[in-house]
Parts: sequence; structure tokens; C-alpha cells
Amino acid sequence: MHRLYTRSPIAKVMWGILSSLIGIIVLLLVLVSENARMADQTTNWQGRSVENGAKLFDSNCATCHGPNGQGLLGRAPGLNSYYFFTPTGRLADVGWVGSLEDYVRLTIAAGRPSKTDSQWPEVMPTWAGQFGGPLRGDQVEDLTLYVMNWQESALAQTPEEDPFQPYDDVLKPIEFQNTAFLFLSDDEQTAALEEYKARSIRAPEELWQSEACFACHNLAVRQEDEPGQNGPNLADLFERAGSRVDGMTAEEYVYQSIVDPAAFVVLTYENVGQMPQNFAEKLSEVEIQGLVEWLLDPDRDEEQEISE
Amino acid sequence: MGVQQDIREKGLIGAVATQADSVFTRITAGIDAGEFRRMLQGDPPGRPNPRLKPHAESFLLHIKPTYYHESVTRFTHTFRLGLLSTYLFIVETITGILLMIWYAPTPERAYPDMILLLTNIPFGQFLRDMHRLGAEAMVAIVTLHMVRCYLTGSYKPPRQFTWFTGVLLLVFTLFLSFSGYLLPWDQLAFWAVTIGTSMAEAVPPAVVGEVVNLLARGAPDIGANGLMRFYLLHVLFLPLLLVLFFFVHYYKVVHFGISLPADEEEVGEDTANRVPADKRVYYLPDVFVDEMSFMTVITTLLILLTVFFFQAPLEHIANPQSTPLHTVAPWYFYWLQGLLKIADKFIAGVLLPGVLLVLLMAIPYLDYNPSRRGKDRKVAIVAGIVAGTVMIILSWMGTPEYAVQGAPSVEIVQDVMPEEGSGISREIGYKHLPLGVWRTDEEYDVHDHEFNELLHEFYEAVDFYRRTDPDFNAPVGQVTITQDQPGLKKLKWEIFWFDAQGTEGTYEKSFWLHEESIYWEQYGWKHLFFGYVADGWSSMSGALAGE
Repeated sequence: MHRLYTRSPIAKVMWGILSSLIGIIVLLLVLVSENARMADQTTNWQGRSVENGAKLFDSNCATCHGPNGQGLLGRAPGLNSYYFFTPTGRLADVGWVGSLEDYVRLTIAAGRPSKTDSQWPEVMPTWAGQFGGPLRGDQVEDLTLYVMNWQESALAQTPEEDPFQPYDDVLKPIEFQNTAFLFLSDDEQTAALEEYKARSIRAPEELWQSEACFACHNLAVRQEDEPGQNGPNLADLFERAGSRVDGMTAEEYVYQSIVDPAAFVVLTYENVGQMPQNFAEKLSEVEIQGLVEWLLDPDRDEEQEISE
Repeated sequence: MGVQQDIREKGLIGAVATQADSVFTRITAGIDAGEFRRMLQGDPPGRPNPRLKPHAESFLLHIKPTYYHESVTRFTHTFRLGLLSTYLFIVETITGILLMIWYAPTPERAYPDMILLLTNIPFGQFLRDMHRLGAEAMVAIVTLHMVRCYLTGSYKPPRQFTWFTGVLLLVFTLFLSFSGYLLPWDQLAFWAVTIGTSMAEAVPPAVVGEVVNLLARGAPDIGANGLMRFYLLHVLFLPLLLVLFFFVHYYKVVHFGISLPADEEEVGEDTANRVPADKRVYYLPDVFVDEMSFMTVITTLLILLTVFFFQAPLEHIANPQSTPLHTVAPWYFYWLQGLLKIADKFIAGVLLPGVLLVLLMAIPYLDYNPSRRGKDRKVAIVAGIVAGTVMIILSWMGTPEYAVQGAPSVEIVQDVMPEEGSGISREIGYKHLPLGVWRTDEEYDVHDHEFNELLHEFYEAVDFYRRTDPDFNAPVGQVTITQDQPGLKKLKWEIFWFDAQGTEGTYEKSFWLHEESIYWEQYGWKHLFFGYVADGWSSMSGALAGE
């Protein structure tokens, strides 16, 4: 009888044994390599998370916290900041006992409550979907990792480089600032209050920055291709202010616009958003008068250029 | 017979040998040690054949025929494709069940679970890669199995119903693979399945289409409900259906036997039950050894491919708000995507595939040609080859290369740094991306080979669209690389050009790249593997030396 089968069973068994040996050896190699691979994959996916966070920060947060996390004066605090990353800094000031990462995560997710009376006029909104915000949980996580990724550069800052500036960013009564005032000795507190009083009448230029007027208004003549802003352009205010409301002088009109913005809204800006209503409480009478005068000054630009 | 009596009669050694032999016979379900030795030596069986006993005694062997016709055991006749399909299903079941341990089918957990699997589970990545590789291989092998049966005319009487169930199994395999596609909950999964289920919408009348779509997705859009449905389809419903029809299919295969080569068998002949004695190859030991060694070799091949070459893709987490630039179906549905590009949704998505499926199942009942020989089946063979070619062309048309080019500026950036996947920028990685502003209209003297390649590819991409698109004149590409954070670089891609009217256009897109990201490892040969082995080895030997 001729051999029906092309290869002997023994050869096939040998092939089977040989290939299972190779398979087992490769699996053992995988076993040996797994710890190193998992470590690499962990940092890999954390890195990608930071990348996702960077994209989200760029499109959602950079407008207030600055493209490099340096913060915007009068809008939102710097995050790439020594003060922010030092345990005795921001966390101690707000009385947070958890980790900074949890603080960042919570702030992004739930926003910052009771913000109206702080030095930052803009309210941090809630971002997480669970609190009515637009982001998913994983996006909050990515953002948190991105913000925490500033740690290294923030801790390398000198106090002068620190963009947070919790003392000087706004001149409200120091005893209301949630910063390190209370840790000062009595003498130092007195000195600080004296200094505060001495500085308490702020120049219009300073108010323009600290009250974030610039965020919605523009002092320069608007260029053709420049996008519109949330508030009217104030470059030629002195020409128009007197004719806006019948029976009101330019000074009266601008004054009213600051202390009671809702009284008259320029037609095109009716649906854009409201100007804060609380400047009457935040600014002193002298300051408001100064601001009105400055805004109506036709030579303001030149003065500014000279002062710069 | 008591043990003591046994010892008394045969002596201690003889009694132990008898006991051992009976245990051996029990394990092998009827083959004693002597017969086993004769099998290994290649001796022919005695009469009556004692090697048939396991087929009667053991469940696993009773479903196998006791012998095959010699002609069908040749490798080049069947290529073992049916066996291979079954084997891959078993591989998928085992790896799939293991993967289920670390997986929860909710949008909140599915994607993080994938990352957990990759970062914290020993062999987690291996299991996932193998499951994915096995799934794609299974689709390919089942299809090849069908092609083989078509070309050899094996569907002809009496095996029509075998073919019919085989087509059903192919459909189940496709759906199994496709339902698993959604489970990682990444962009690839989400959009492929969104496209796939949207085809169901085209079923007429509109109400029915909507209902079918709603049933599949669980909501107007895929979300928590849709994921749960696809999960249950994938792990329970479809596997059960597949197993059921596999048994029907296999029963028919055993019942009618594997078809002989066309020259040796007339259509309608019941060969399985009429194999001449001198043509019989018994299952034990020949076919058994053949199948076992074949599967062992395949297993090793699968392991080698998984460990060294294959990585299951994992893109960004599913984002219903952002459609990726080029959404693609899985490769085995490229032909459908190609069809959808040239015909409307109802015709391409429902009518044609439906007709195709019915035709495929009806082939054995439509083909009255009584011969299985190639020379008598010219029409069938040519039709098959034409159909295959059309499928391949349609598949090519289904890829993004065909007729879905975006604006040149978008395509250029997609080329050097795509939204998903790696692209050359991520391939060369963080350390080969020097800070600065780099333009395509300037020459640079950079001593970094990798970065030079990137600049070159950027230039080539810009130049390609300059030559091919009349609305893309005097284009300049620019990439600004800045240090955004410690260990994080920002790449701002900008393209400036003039259209045919001379109006200037600009396009800008930013990406970030982290020092630790290893995108490039995801494609092709796994470079890092031997480094990991060396790391593991040194830490292991360090731990041993420390003790």
C-alpha cells in the first residue's frame, strides 16, 4: 500500500513541539517585558492626556487665564505661578486641605463659588457636565493634568516672575483680600493699610486695567478687519457721548453708563451681554469722576503714548 | 478485581503497569499504551481497527469522522481554512472572555478601561492586540474559505445547504467583528459605527429605517444605550448564533464529507460514505496529529505577529461633537463605503448588499451546471473573478484616497500631523522637533536628520498641491514650534496661499506633543519590545542578586 500521507506524524509532532517552544519563549519574553512596557504606557497615556488638555485649555481657558497660564490682570489669576503651586501659597490662603490637583480638578469641574466679591471680576464658570458645564469627565481630567504640568516651571520662578500677584492686582480693602494679610504682624498690617490708603485713589489708566474695561471696550480706533468686541469702541467717545441721550451732557451720560450701565444701552449691543452693575460700589466717587474725564479726553491717546 | 489479588497474580511491577495502562486508556478514551506506541511508530491499525474506539467513547471525538478520503487531506485542497476559521473563533472566545474582566460597557468607563488595560494589566495589551488581530484574520479566513469553496464548486449537490449556512456564518462573522468595533469607544469606533448604523436608516419605508436605526443605536445617536446593545450583540447574541449555525454547518460537512477534488467526484455523489478502503486516512492518529500541529504552528504565528508586528489602534476618546477628517469603515466594509460614494444610501447601503447576500446564499440553487470541473464552469469562474475584482475596486474606492480630498491646506497638515494616528511629526517625536519658526520657502541648516525629513515631507506636500490644485498658488507652509510647558511642545501649522482670483487664504491648526507620548510605536514593528525585555531582565536579575 502506498504511503497515503505526505509527511510522517513524527515530523508533524516535531513541528508542533518546536513551534510551541518558540511560542512559550516569546510569551516568557513578554512576561519579562511587561513591567517596563506598562510603565512606558502609563507615561505615554498621561502625556497624551496632557496634549488633550493643552488643546482644551487653548480653546476654553486661555482667553482668561492667558495662553501660557500667566493670567490676565483683572480677569483671571495666573496658574503657571510659584504662589499657586506652593503648598503654603494658594492652598493655604483658601484653606484647602486636599492636594493641589484635587483643588484644580474641583475648580474646573464646579467653578468658583462666591466669586463676586473677590479681586477677580470674572466668575469662573462650571465646566463639568455634571454641574451643567460643557465638558465630559475625561476632559476635566485632561485639563487638570495639563494645569498640573506647569508645576516644574512654576516652582522655578522667583517672586518677581510670579504672575499671580495676589497683593497688588486690585486695590480693594486689604482686610477683604483672601491673601496673607492676616499673617502679618500688627505693625505690618498698619503699614500695609497706610500704604493702601495712600494708593486708594486710582488713576483711570489703572482702573482701565484692573476693572478689565479693556476686555470689552477698545480705546484705539477700530481697524477694518478687526473683530468686534462685546462693548462699544470708546476711541471717539468724546464725539458721540453728548448726543446719545437727550438732555444729558457727555459727562452725565458717561457717568451714568458706569454706575448704571443698564439705563441706556447702545442699540447694537443690546444682545451682547451686560456690563457689570457694581462699579458704583467698587469705585470711589473721585475715581469715577477721574475715569469719566479721562474717557472723554480727546487727547487721551497722546498722553498715554507720552506716559508710556 | 481487587488490587491485592492483582499484585498476587502479576507481581508489584506488573500490577502497577496494568493500572497505569488502564488510566492511560481512560484518558485517551480507548487507546491503550501499546496501541499508542504503534501509532507513533506509524504502524497500520489492526483489524478491527482499535483506533476507532475514541470516536465512540469521547464527546470531543464523536463529532469528528473516523476517516477522511485521502484526497481531501492534502493541504492544497482545503488549505485547512474551515478548521482555521473555527480555531480563530476559539481564540477570539478565550481572549474575549479574558478582556471582559477589565471592561465595562459604559461611555464613562469603556475608554479609560482600554487605557487601564494597556497601562496596568500584565498581558493586557497582548490580549487586546491578539483579539483584534484574530478578529481581522477571522474575517479574512472565512472569506477565503468561501472563495475556495466557490472556485472548487463545492457548493453543488449534495452540499447546497452547507454553503447556505456558510454564508450565514460569514455574515455573523462580519457582524461580530463590526459589533466589537464600537467597544473601545474611541473616535475610530464611534464614527465607523455611526456610519454603519446610519445605513440602516435607508431601509424603506422611512419609518422602518428609523426604527431599525433606533433599535441598533438605542437612541437617535450612539450613546450609553448603543454601546450596551453592541456589547451584548458582541459577547452574547452573535456568538450564540454563530455557534448554533456552526454546528449546523459542521454537521453537514461531516454528513456529506468534504468535497473531493473536482476530477475525482461527480456532482451528487455521496463520497463521505463511500471511501474505498485503500483511500481512507484515519482520524487517529494521522489527521489528529496533522490538525494539532497545524493549530500549534498557527498559535505561534499568531503570538509572533501580535508581539512583534500588530497593535490594535486606539484613537482619541469618542467625541460626538468632532467628526474626524477621514472617517473610515473597517477594511472589510470598504467596498460598501465605495458603493455609497457612487450610489445613494438606499441602493448602495440596503438594496445592493441585500441582493448580493441573497444571491450568494442562492448560488447552489441557481447553478444547474452538473459539473464541478473548472473547464466546464467557465462562466461561474469568470463571474467569480469579476465579482472579486469589482469588490477590490469598490474597496479601493472606499478608502479616503478616492474622491474625498479636503481643502489642500487641510490635507497638507493632515499629511504631516494627522488628527489621529502618528504622521511623520509624531513618528520622529518630541526630541527631534527643534523650537523655532520653520517655513517651506526657506532652506535650513539643521543637523537633525529626522527633522530634515519632516521639513522635506512638509515641502513635498505643499508642492504637490501647488502643482495639482489651480486654487492653491504660491503656497507657503510654516510650522512654529514653541515650548508650551515643561515636556510639552506646541506645533502651530500655518498654510498661506492665493486662490485663482488672487485672494490670500490662510489656514492654521495647532497640535501639542508631549515628551512621553509614543505614537510611533503604534504602527508596524514594535521597536521598544527588546528594550522592555532588557529592562525586565536587568531588574529581575537585580532583584535576584539583591537577595
